[in-house]
Amino acid sequence: MAEFSATVYQNEFLPDGGTDVHAIVTVSCTGAGAAGQSGSGDAGEIIIVDTSGSMGAEGIRAAAYAAQTALDQILDGVWFAVISGNDRAQLAFPPSPEPVMVRMDQFTRQAAKDAVARFYADGGTAMGTWLRLAARVFATVPSLTQKHAILLTDGENQHETPEVLSATIEAVTGQFQCDCRGVGVNWQVAEVRRIATALLGTVDIIPAPDQLAAEFSKLIKQAMSKGVAGADMRVWAPQGAQVLFVRQVAPTVDDLTSRRTEVNALTSAYPTGSWGDESRDYHVAIRLAAKGIGQEQLAARVQLAVGDQVVAQGLVKALWSNDEALTTRISPEVAHYTGQTELADAIQEGLAAKAAGDTETATTKLGRAVQLAAQTGNEEATSRLRKVVEIDDQDTGTVRLKRSVEKADEMALDTASTKTTRVKK
Amino acid sequence: MDTAMTSTTGTTSTTCPSCGGPIGAADRYCEACGAELSPAATPATAAIDTDTEPTVELNPSAARSAEAAPGPCRSCGGVVGDDGYCQTCGTKAAKPRDHFSEQPAPWVAAVCDRGIRHSRNEDAVAVSADAEPGSRAQLVVCDGVSSSLDSDVASLAAARAAREVLAAGHAQGMGTESSRNSAVVARLKAAADAANDAVLANTSPDSPNPASCTFVAVVVEGDLLVAGVVGDSRAYWFPDSAEPVGLTVDDSWAAELIATGVPRQQAETGPQAHAITRWLGKDAPDHTPRTTTVKVDGPGWLVVCSDGLWNYCSEAAPLADLVRQTAAANRGEPLATASALVDWANAQGGQDNITVALARL
Repeated sequence: MAEFSATVYQNEFLPDGGTDVHAIVTVSCTGAGAAGQSGSGDAGEIIIVDTSGSMGAEGIRAAAYAAQTALDQILDGVWFAVISGNDRAQLAFPPSPEPVMVRMDQFTRQAAKDAVARFYADGGTAMGTWLRLAARVFATVPSLTQKHAILLTDGENQHETPEVLSATIEAVTGQFQCDCRGVGVNWQVAEVRRIATALLGTVDIIPAPDQLAAEFSKLIKQAMSKGVAGADMRVWAPQGAQVLFVRQVAPTVDDLTSRRTEVNALTSAYPTGSWGDESRDYHVAIRLAAKGIGQEQLAARVQLAVGDQVVAQGLVKALWSNDEALTTRISPEVAHYTGQTELADAIQEGLAAKAAGDTETATTKLGRAVQLAAQTGNEEATSRLRKVVEIDDQDTGTVRLKRSVEKADEMALDTASTKTTRVKK
Repeated sequence: MDTAMTSTTGTTSTTCPSCGGPIGAADRYCEACGAELSPAATPATAAIDTDTEPTVELNPSAARSAEAAPGPCRSCGGVVGDDGYCQTCGTKAAKPRDHFSEQPAPWVAAVCDRGIRHSRNEDAVAVSADAEPGSRAQLVVCDGVSSSLDSDVASLAAARAAREVLAAGHAQGMGTESSRNSAVVARLKAAADAANDAVLANTSPDSPNPASCTFVAVVVEGDLLVAGVVGDSRAYWFPDSAEPVGLTVDDSWAAELIATGVPRQQAETGPQAHAITRWLGKDAPDHTPRTTTVKVDGPGWLVVCSDGLWNYCSEAAPLADLVRQTAAANRGEPLATASALVDWANAQGGQDNITVALARL
């Protein structure tokens, strides 16, 4: 049985007239078990592989091998399907003209592997059609409570307008989770990130086709270890208060604020997807009406809910004080993740400016990123940044853009920009 | 809350970080501005954390009315959650010990409140009354000394022990007014003894700062009001159509100054204004109440209160006006009036715990 816990880190003391309360809430899960085995519904997995012409013979062979490796990792009993996509989507397995899924067993696994072996590269790229088909396929099995897909692409979404893709993303949001991977350097990080973010998944680059199999295997293993099909973060704030934002800040930065749904007048819910044995940190900011010195009130109840059941709760408090020693204290957790969030923004904005030829903004933003990465001890970000800029002084953020940069390094910096380091507690 | 004289003299070399006023080494609050002092000033032996442990637990029989289930949110009327905060406005619910009231008969009521600036309620009140208006009543207020340990536990135990003694006595003496008076005075002394014993019973034998509290009790016996006091909690008699009367004289440094001719205003706002010269407790030199008797010859309000109220209105005349106006605004209902007076003191800043006990005669 999965057990959740929530711990709050904050400075609850506000100065006279203070209104904004910030807190980091760490939510941890243990005993999650395996996907589809918690007794509260079945798990479904769809593998979506780009089979457009640009994949080429070598790319397709690597992708097929990776898909076969992934099939090996799907647990027996889990419902599954394989979609091949180019400028339209086809159900590669099970072989059926209509959307359908089957349960994994030794026979379906072998049949699926055989089907995948027949992939060939042809046509263009329209990822929206792949997502729509995946949603329709998942919908054929009503018992599914956990729906996860992995999507592999190698190129830009050329055979579909951005508007159509946006509409599709909106239409399928909330229907399944999707981790997205781009192979090579001819795909757009921002485009694929849009899909992954909306579908509560991750985005990453796989520079060379021979790295595909290991990555697919890892992703499916992860998905199979998520024994809790879905959970919502719930935030209660007092009457008259305003929830400024709700952000996941570890292991990656993901702003949940706009995904709000209402539970009741004072409580909002934000989907967090499925959970395995893991720990995530959330940054919650609430604006209150100021109260008098010495008054205490609750600023937020931060809860994790599985279905209608609240499984963990942390209390965010506010206590007005005229003791400056208390009110000026900065929570190290809040400071750390505020810096990490700004780091992610600085990297993405810096790379976007660089791509647009705005060297000045790119230098400033990436310089700030170098400074923040150093301040928050994010060594992984520092080493990725080092491949794109020459660092003259990391303390002041003085950098120069490198003359020649490997495209893959730049994309890796972009996709990894939202990865955060945990605060040392 | 009061500072026992012995615990502050000689230790006033430190000053309040908030207002610069003198503070004793063991004080948890500045007596001048009410600021909570840093934990460094608290003796390391403060073993009982009253934020997490119910302060009335040491004496379960004393816990009756203060342990009632939490009512609706005092700020917005919403439902208080299991986590101790209002489910609508988030206001922290008061602990039962932080705010409680008693109304033994429609004509007698008392409200005891933590106030705003202090983190716990060391005031206590215990009242009892016969059903017939103006017949018999006993009103006791004790105010825990903030520089002593566990005085919130001690003060409640003391007030309830005194009430028990006062309510049990039916001795009418020889029937003459003077013999009735002597009998009530004797009962007040016995009540002070019982209250003192209750404080001692709730004091750890090796406490470096033994619990202590003030004591004021008024017995209503028909047309007779007899007040007894140790410390600076007070009783007043406000007849509707006669001059208001203070029934008590404080055992305080300020009162001694006033007796030597220093103006009340000046004496009661001086640095040692709240230092008391007599109290109940292990280190009390003398706890015999000083008594005053008044004959009632018309309707009026009997007020028994702690300094959390009179700090904001010390003189009998303006306090009488305040009580009369507040009563008029609450249709003369004693509980609503006492509650409104507590709200008024909180609106003035609520720098100390506030207790108001009223009887409508």
